[in-house]
Amino acid sequence: MFQIVCLISKTVWIHFVPIPDRTEPDKRPGTALLRAAGTGSESDRARRAAEEEEEDEARVEMSESGTQLFARLEARRCLKDIEPRLFPDDGGPDHGEVVEVYGPEGTGKTELLYHLLSRCVLPEAAGGLEVDVVFVDTDYSLDMLRLVSILDTRLNKGRTTLKGLSTSPSSAGSDEAALHLCLSRLLVVHCSSSSQLLLTLHFLETTLSSRSSLALLLIDSMSAFYWSDRGEGGASISKQEEKLSKSSELLGRLLRDYRITIFATCHAIRRSNSGPSSSETDRPFLCRPWQRLVTHRLLCSRQEADPDQAGSDRGDGEQRRRRVFRVHCTSSSLSSTGTKGSRTSSFRVTDGGVEFI
Amino acid sequence: MVILREGMCPGLDEDLLRSLRAADIRTVEDLVSSDSEELAQKCSVSYKALFAIRRVLLAQHTAFPVSGADLYEELLSSTAILSTGNPSLDKLLDSGLFTGEITELSGGPGSGKSQVCFGAAVHISHHLKQSVIYIDTTGGLTASRLLQMLRSETTNTDEQMEALQRIRIVRLFDVYALLDCLYGLCGGGLQQASVGGGSVKAVIVDSVSAVIAPLLGGKQSEGMSLMTQVAGVLKTMAKDFSVAALVTNHVTRSGSGDVQPGLGVSWSHVPRTRILLERVETAPSVSRSSLRSATLIKSSRQVQAAHRVLTLNPSQPCCIKEEFDLRWWSGAAGGASGKRKLDQAGS
Repeated sequence: MFQIVCLISKTVWIHFVPIPDRTEPDKRPGTALLRAAGTGSESDRARRAAEEEEEDEARVEMSESGTQLFARLEARRCLKDIEPRLFPDDGGPDHGEVVEVYGPEGTGKTELLYHLLSRCVLPEAAGGLEVDVVFVDTDYSLDMLRLVSILDTRLNKGRTTLKGLSTSPSSAGSDEAALHLCLSRLLVVHCSSSSQLLLTLHFLETTLSSRSSLALLLIDSMSAFYWSDRGEGGASISKQEEKLSKSSELLGRLLRDYRITIFATCHAIRRSNSGPSSSETDRPFLCRPWQRLVTHRLLCSRQEADPDQAGSDRGDGEQRRRRVFRVHCTSSSLSSTGTKGSRTSSFRVTDGGVEFI
Repeated sequence: MVILREGMCPGLDEDLLRSLRAADIRTVEDLVSSDSEELAQKCSVSYKALFAIRRVLLAQHTAFPVSGADLYEELLSSTAILSTGNPSLDKLLDSGLFTGEITELSGGPGSGKSQVCFGAAVHISHHLKQSVIYIDTTGGLTASRLLQMLRSETTNTDEQMEALQRIRIVRLFDVYALLDCLYGLCGGGLQQASVGGGSVKAVIVDSVSAVIAPLLGGKQSEGMSLMTQVAGVLKTMAKDFSVAALVTNHVTRSGSGDVQPGLGVSWSHVPRTRILLERVETAPSVSRSSLRSATLIKSSRQVQAAHRVLTLNPSQPCCIKEEFDLRWWSGAAGGASGKRKLDQAGS
């Protein structure tokens, strides 16, 4: 790392030394030498001082680009531990990896995204990672009220476990302040067409470079414009897939340059008629550039209710019956073991979001 | 696809456009995705000018990121919950129709979808004093039925007329007219319709499947793209103008014989809340019962309410079901005799 930086700008060392003030010429190494030499006429000295001022300015500019380089390559937090119960052993998404969450309607994909989102924006005290997140919403499916209720529940849980038996009153103001802080780590963008998605991703590049704590990009969903693109593209498949391909290539470049992680949902478009284990409905249908980017695939489905639960509750009365969802993860990531791994987990949706069983 | 035209932004004149077209850059997306340095060399234009044009075009056409905190504040101040008038239905919907979302009612013929829509429209216009836009694609709406429902709410004819005036009815029978109407509403029709009292708080489309279902099926995908277009403009309208969208849908049978809402898998992601209406099996002696059962098949909120009383249905575990009477809106079962008395007194 340091060698690369040195090659680009050998003055990066000056960045680590406090950059000398214009008002304190004594600290500048150049003038110190001059003064030590003590020779030359006034005009000579002035000329040399002016030259060195220009050099210093250039140094300051180049050293800023050194910081930017560091911000680009170093500061993004690795999200391998974002949810270890979803991924196979030590197979969480690394820098620059893409996870696709695929499933038919009502199988908890958006709930999973809320779960990951809250895990990222919550403070460390409540079990979060304190990173910034960008949520690209293509079909207006972000329910802020639900997200806020999940964040609230988790913040309260974190607060009670921390305080234990302490009787200090938690004022409503501090609750709100904590919630506001969490929400300020989230950026939401609404896109209404695939061309707007492409342009927005170009625009997001500046956001990515300026915020070094931004480590996660959530897209819900990638397949929202599938049918409109097919209608616009007419008969040629390449024209139909053109915009999504361009977006995928741009996403690939952003992944390589900025080392973020992407989670994207994809709605199923074919109904599974032949039971839960039909492979044809789970086949990816988005364009090839996108499929090449995807390193982990989470297949969501609904699980049948537990038979013993059904037997115990009969008749009227309060029943707590929650639907159970199943997630099957297949990873083809090359970074971890080089081989494909897979894992199946189940979860329920509660007030506090997703709860793994 | 936004095509580059001269005058779109300062600096984009005809000569530059011609040289860009010669370099095969015709749309804004092409310009933004291409490498500015290469393009500047090819078109012999200054890199700085091209970069400035690119920046202005991006600023004009992208969606801007909003902080989550600002979005939440906005939502808190603009979201409203509209009651449908029937307390059992409201319980199912978690206290009513939410603005900014699409709610779907599906059911077979005669299951009461249109009656529920009439009742909701009457309740919103009379009790909540807000305007409603009712898009009728089946021809099943008659003003006399609305008046009948209003008569059971109030006897004052002025109030009845006022409430009727707040319900704007649009009749159309194909999807292009529907798109036209919805785009017109987004473009300024909603503000115009808010003249004369409350702002428009609900848009009811009865039924959306009647105009879309004939286009689906077969090899062409135009029907699907038109459906996603209708979904997109409904969602945009609901979100941007904070109205509650209520749509109705037909039903089909799935492979295993269960009744499910129509319009396929791609439509199933569109509504936030889905309710299935069915007739209640009653004794054969009681014909033409007005009891219906509503099952909540998709909701993002009822996770909290899973402790409500469930009617056990072994084939559909975990679905909340409520029974309600269609005559609620025209004076409930107890008040039906009251209505008859009113008629006798009136005539």
